[in-house]
Amino acid sequence: MNKKNIAKYIVLLVLVPLVVLLGAVAFDDKKYIFVSACVAVLSCVPFFMSFEGKKTSTKRLVLLAVMLSFSVAGRYIFAFLPHFKPVTAIVVIAGIYLGTESGFLCGALSALVSGFIFGLGPWTPFQMFAWGLIGLLSSLLSEFLKKNKIALCVFGAVSGVLYSLLLDIVSTMWYDGVFNPSRYLALFVTALPVTAVYAASNVIFLFLLATPMGKKLERIKIKYGL
Amino acid sequence: MNRNDIAFARFHPTVLFFYFFCLILFTVFTQNPVLLLSALCGGILFCAVTNTAKKNLAAAKLYVPMFLLVSMTNPIFSHSGATPLFFMNDNPVTLEALLCGVDLAVQVCAVMLICGAFSRVMESDKLLALFGKLSPRLATVLSMALRFIPLLKRKWGEICEAQRALGYFREESFFDRIASYARVFSALVTWALESSVDTAASMSARGYELAGKKHFSLFRFTRGDGIMLALTTALSAVTLFGILLGKADFDFYPRISEINTDIFAIITYAAFGTLALLPFIFEVKEALKWKYLRSKI
Repeated sequence: MNKKNIAKYIVLLVLVPLVVLLGAVAFDDKKYIFVSACVAVLSCVPFFMSFEGKKTSTKRLVLLAVMLSFSVAGRYIFAFLPHFKPVTAIVVIAGIYLGTESGFLCGALSALVSGFIFGLGPWTPFQMFAWGLIGLLSSLLSEFLKKNKIALCVFGAVSGVLYSLLLDIVSTMWYDGVFNPSRYLALFVTALPVTAVYAASNVIFLFLLATPMGKKLERIKIKYGL
Repeated sequence: MNRNDIAFARFHPTVLFFYFFCLILFTVFTQNPVLLLSALCGGILFCAVTNTAKKNLAAAKLYVPMFLLVSMTNPIFSHSGATPLFFMNDNPVTLEALLCGVDLAVQVCAVMLICGAFSRVMESDKLLALFGKLSPRLATVLSMALRFIPLLKRKWGEICEAQRALGYFREESFFDRIASYARVFSALVTWALESSVDTAASMSARGYELAGKKHFSLFRFTRGDGIMLALTTALSAVTLFGILLGKADFDFYPRISEINTDIFAIITYAAFGTLALLPFIFEVKEALKWKYLRSKI
């Protein structure tokens, strides 16, 4: 195990529990939102570190930047349809065709770049975490999702719902300071139409884009030897 | 008002980042109404002097309903507190929960306003200069992505126009529109992926993969930055000291505690108030200086 790997494990196995412990002891278990934001950022750090340490080829680097800009530009392009956004679909495609690391980074950095443009806020660390996780999961299931289009659409819908569930937890903690189940339920119910549109947009975009975009990515990978 | 006209934005990125980090940290961690109100005042005043009237109105339309929503819904979800005002569905609506909701609403709005100020002051080039020192490769990816976005938007418009001219673009129904846009998107993907490989080849040819590169940064640390950093550190240290000593402790449940008014508490409030109002004070100072210098011509 080299130095970089050790640093990664230190972040995951020492810093994350330390932050949680600190939150529970020093802040009386009251500052859930801050502690969870710290954990969300810290869990992204090992990926950033491994990306930094590796000799990733320039082509991969640029390809990642392009996928990122697609997911963010999609928000502009589809601005006329509220909540109907291709971000998750692009992140899933990046995860399936470009690998675990690119999938996670595409998700996490999409949230960051969106933040640069549309305004950073307390939700940014959680968006980074949630989209990063979606990219990671899709890359782990890539062989399965590549072949089975129905599974891909189901994955899109489920990830849309999970994303909303996670960000509703954040809003609950943000408005109450603590996790309040009745507030969570109320938020979830009022957000149902948005969640439905969001999940549907994931399914539609994945259905329309996954195969053609995947083919293009595969073609580029073969043509230029990535 | 243009982004570049914000005087506070001219400080070094490290100073700005440190300032906002401290301010947000304190605002998130305290429940004390005095501290939260001063943070909210700082946010509102900075917004007011750096934004146009139209944008201020739009912000008010967002923040006022949010404030009311958070403050009014808290008593519905929280039934702690010793002073019931009335009963709703057999659940007490307490004075403490109501006031706690107002306090939380102040906190939520203050943090949102400060985050908004942060976004306006820290443009992407400043953030990249900060990230670039920590992680040059990630900063490269981010800055390339930021550069690709306007490029993609322009190309998107060009492809749309070409498709319209060819008569391939149908906009009658929702699904027609989606299908048409999806086709444009597909063409855009092909173009972007191919040109990205060109970019990569060009970067390699210019020696991007060689060792010994340094991150380019336009920002220089001046004496003014040093003064601002020292001021922020001093004020934050006093505030932190006060908070750690428990001078700013405040509880809503079971009964609302009294606001601490001993001399140390007042020093803490003053330090944090100055910290929260720093950007506004600086903005006003610079505006007055500009007026004065112009009047001399």
